[in-house]
Amino acid sequence: MSRCGPGRRDAASSVASIFCEYERSLRPCLTTSSIRLATGDHSEMSSSAAPRTPGWHRGRVASWLVTTDHKRIGILYIATALAFFVLAGVMAMLMRLQLAQEDVDLLGPDRYNELVTIHGTAMIFLVVVPILAGLGNFLVPLMIGARDVAFPRLNALSYWLFAFGGLVLMLSFFADGGAAKSGWTAYAPLSTQDPGSGQDLWILSIHILTASSLAGAINFIVTIQNMRTRGMSWTRMPLFVWTIYVFAWLLMATLPTLSAGLTMLLLDRGISIGGWEAQTHFFDAAQGGSAVLYQHAFWFFGHPEVYIMALPAFGIISEVIPVFARKPIFGYKAVAFSTVAIGFFSMLLWAHHMFTVGLPNSLNAFFMVTSMAVAVPTGVKIFNWLATLWRGNLIFETPMLFALGFLSIFTIGGLSGIYLAAFPIDWQVHDTYFVVAHLHYVILGGSMFAIFAGLYYWWPKMFGTVLDERIGKWHFWLMFIGFNVTFFPQHMLGLEGMPRRVYTYSNGEWEGYNLTSTIGSWVMGAGLLFFAWNVERTWRKGTRVGNDPWQADTLEWYATSPPPAHNFDEVPYVTSARPLYDLRRRLREKDGYRAHL
Amino acid sequence: MRALLVLAGLLLLAAGLAPAALGGNGGFAPVTPESPNAERIHDTWIFVSIFIVAIFVLVEVLLVTFIWRYRRQRRERFEDGPQIHGTTSIELMWTVAPVVILFLIGGFVFYKLPGIADVPRASASGEERLVVRVTGRQYYWQYEYPNGAVAIDKLRAPAGVPVRLEVTAPDEDVIHSWWIPALGGKIDAIPGVTNETWFEAKRPGTYDGQCAELCGLEHATMLASVEVLLAAEFAAWLAERGRGRASIELGEEEWRGACAKCHGLGGEGGIAPQITGSPVLADREALEEIVRNGRGEMPAVGSGWSEEQVDALIAYLRESPPSGS
Repeated sequence: MSRCGPGRRDAASSVASIFCEYERSLRPCLTTSSIRLATGDHSEMSSSAAPRTPGWHRGRVASWLVTTDHKRIGILYIATALAFFVLAGVMAMLMRLQLAQEDVDLLGPDRYNELVTIHGTAMIFLVVVPILAGLGNFLVPLMIGARDVAFPRLNALSYWLFAFGGLVLMLSFFADGGAAKSGWTAYAPLSTQDPGSGQDLWILSIHILTASSLAGAINFIVTIQNMRTRGMSWTRMPLFVWTIYVFAWLLMATLPTLSAGLTMLLLDRGISIGGWEAQTHFFDAAQGGSAVLYQHAFWFFGHPEVYIMALPAFGIISEVIPVFARKPIFGYKAVAFSTVAIGFFSMLLWAHHMFTVGLPNSLNAFFMVTSMAVAVPTGVKIFNWLATLWRGNLIFETPMLFALGFLSIFTIGGLSGIYLAAFPIDWQVHDTYFVVAHLHYVILGGSMFAIFAGLYYWWPKMFGTVLDERIGKWHFWLMFIGFNVTFFPQHMLGLEGMPRRVYTYSNGEWEGYNLTSTIGSWVMGAGLLFFAWNVERTWRKGTRVGNDPWQADTLEWYATSPPPAHNFDEVPYVTSARPLYDLRRRLREKDGYRAHL
Repeated sequence: MRALLVLAGLLLLAAGLAPAALGGNGGFAPVTPESPNAERIHDTWIFVSIFIVAIFVLVEVLLVTFIWRYRRQRRERFEDGPQIHGTTSIELMWTVAPVVILFLIGGFVFYKLPGIADVPRASASGEERLVVRVTGRQYYWQYEYPNGAVAIDKLRAPAGVPVRLEVTAPDEDVIHSWWIPALGGKIDAIPGVTNETWFEAKRPGTYDGQCAELCGLEHATMLASVEVLLAAEFAAWLAERGRGRASIELGEEEWRGACAKCHGLGGEGGIAPQITGSPVLADREALEEIVRNGRGEMPAVGSGWSEEQVDALIAYLRESPPSGS
C-alpha cells in the first residue's frame, strides 16, 4: 500500500500509536517513485478482502467501470466534469469571438443560440454541480471518518447517470434540427414551439441528471446523518460537510419541481408513442394555459440551484482559509448556521428572476425583501473569512491564492446582486449583460475559483502528489486577471442597454467593452491551459508528499495519501472541529514533534 | 505603508469613477434618463451605489490590508497564528449592520416606487395621457394608437405627455420584453397577458432599445425605437397615419420590421430564403395567405393584421420591389 514506512499496529491501538502513525505520516513518502492513482491498489485490496470478486473486475480500466469506492467515484465525477468544462469553455470562447465586434459573421443565429443554451446548461449541470458532488463524494466519508458512503452502489448509479445525461446533452448538437436553442431556462412558449429534437433531448438529459442528483443527495444526507465517527457531533463536523449537507437537502427539495415543470414542457411539445399522440397546453396561452407558470416551476428550482453551486464552494473556502492562515475559522457556528440560513432563504426568493413579467408590486416587494435577507448570512460568511485572515500567518500557496481570489471576486458578485434585488433597478438591468456579469462573478469567479482552490488543496490526498506551485501561480494570475477583464466590462454593457443572448449587435458604442471582454476570455483560456499542463506534468513526475502536507485540521488528512479502499485502519476520537490540530498539539506537549516541522 | 498606498489608490479610483457614475455615462450607471420613471430608477441606483461602493471598498481594503499585514515573512511555515475562535459581539455587529443598510435600501425603493410604477393620468400641465398598445411579435414591435393608426418598430410619441403602454404578445407568439433604457425599465410582452408601463419624454429625440427576452433566431435584430416629436408634429403624424389609407410609409415599416429581418432588406435572403423577384410579392392573395398563416418555419408574422396593413405592404412592394442587394 502507499503507507510510508513499515510500522503496522495491532488492532487494539492506544492513543500513543495513533500519535506515532500520524507523526510518521507527516514525512513525505520517498519510497514510491511512480505516481499511483488514488486507491491505485484498490483492486488488490478488495480482492484480498472479498475473494469472490470476478477477475475481470481487477483490470486497470474495468476496475474503474465497476467501482463502488466513493473515492474513485469522486475522481470519476471530477474528471468527467472537467472534460465537459473544456467543451463548454470552448463554446464560451466561440461566443465571445462572435461578439468581439459589431456585426461579426462567425456564428449564425441558430448556432449561437445553441451555444448559449448548451454552454449555460453544461456549466451548471455538467460542470459546477458534478465537480462539487465529486469533491463531496471523495471527501465526505474521509472527513467524517467513515469507510464509504451509505449506499455505494447507488453512488455508482448516480455517477453513471450523470455521465450518460451529459453525453445526451452534448450529442444533441447532432440531433435533427440541432441542439436546444431556448437558453438554459428554456422558457415556454419558445421552447415548446421549436420543432427540432434538440429541445426534447435537452429535457431528457436534465431528467437523467435530476435522477442522478437525487440519488447523490439521498446518499449524502444518509451518510452524514448516520456515519460520523465517534466524537463527531454536528458542531464538530468540518464546514465543508455542513455545506454538502445543506446542498443535498436543497437538491431534494427543489429538483422535483424542476422535473414537474420539464415534464409539463415535454407534454406541451407533444409526444407520440407508437400511433398514440398526446399534447397538453399547460403553457399555451391560445388554449388557456399560462407561460408564466413555467417560469415559477423553473425558478423555484433555478434559484436554489445557485446556492447549490455556491454553498459547497463556501465550504471549500471555509476549509482552505484557516489552514493557510494557521488559525481556526472565526465563528464556526456562525459560518455553519449561516449555511443553513442561506439554504432556507434560497427557497423563498425565486420570483426575483421574474420582476419583469408583471407580477403585482406587492409580490415583487416580498421577493425583494427575501432576496435582500439572503445577503445577510452571506455577508456574515465574508466577514468571518476576513476575520480568519486577521492576525494569521498567511501562506500564499495556490489553494490560498484561489481562495483569496474567490473572496475578492465573490464580494463583487454578491454586491451587484443587491442592485438586482431592488426590483425597480432590476427593471433596467434584467436580462442584460449586467446579469451575465453578475452570474459569472458568482458562479465562475465564485464557485469555480473555490473549486480550483479545492483541487489544488486536496490533490495530494487524491493522488499522493502535489500540483506544481509555479505553474499553479501562473494559472491563478491568468485566471484572475482574465476573469475580471472578461466580466467587469459586461456590467457596463448591460447598463448601456445590451441585452443578453443576442448573437450580434449594431451599436458601435458597445464595441470597446465587448472587445475587452473577448480578449479577457482568451487570457482565461490560457490560464486553463496552464492548469492542464500542471495536471499533465504532475501526473508524469509529481513530487510525492506525506499524508498531511499542509498540516491541516480535518480527518481526511489522517488517512494515507491516497487513502486505501477502506480509508482508515483506525479513526482517532474526535474532540473538536479540528481533530488533527488537537493531535498535533498533544504531540507537541509530549515530545520533540517540532523537530519534524 | 504599502497598504496605505493601495488604499489611496482605491480611493482615487473611486473618486475617478464617481463623476462617471453620476453623469450616467460610460456604463457606470443606467443610461441618461429622459423620463421621470427612468429618472427615479436612476436615483435609486445612485442611492444603492453609495452603500455598495462603501461595502466594496471596506471589504477589499480589509482583504488587501490583511494579505499584506499578516503575510508569513520570516515566521515558520507552519507556525500557528493566535487561536481566536470568534467574538460574538463583533459577529453580531456585522450581522446587524447589513440588516440596517438593507432596510435603508428597501425603504428608499418603496419611497420611489409609486413614481416609477404608477402611470400618471395627465401631465403636470394637464394634458391627458396617450394610450398605445404595444405587441411584441417574432421579430418586430407593432404599435396601435387609439385612432386606429398602426406603426411598426418605431413608436412616435409626443413630448411632455404621459404615454401608457399596454404591452402584450399574440397568443401563438413567444415572450418578448419591451425596453427603451432612457425611458424606463423593461416589461415583458407575454402571450395572453397584458402588462403596462409608461414614459413621459421630456424632449424630442430618438431613443433606442431592443427586445430583452430571448425570442428566437432573430432576437438580436428585434430593435425598437421611440421617436419623440413636438406635440403638434405628433398630432399631424397621428392624423395622417390614422386615416386608414394604404400608406406606403407603413408598408415600408412592415417590410423592414416583419420581412427584411429574415429575408434581407433587398430580399436577398438571410436566415430565410431569398425572395427577390418572387411572384408572391406581387400577388395580393398569395402574399396575404403566407403572411397571415406562415409557412414551414416562417412564423405567421401578419396574423391579425388589418386589411389596410396588408394593402400597405402590397402598395410598398409595388412602389419599390426588393432589388436583391
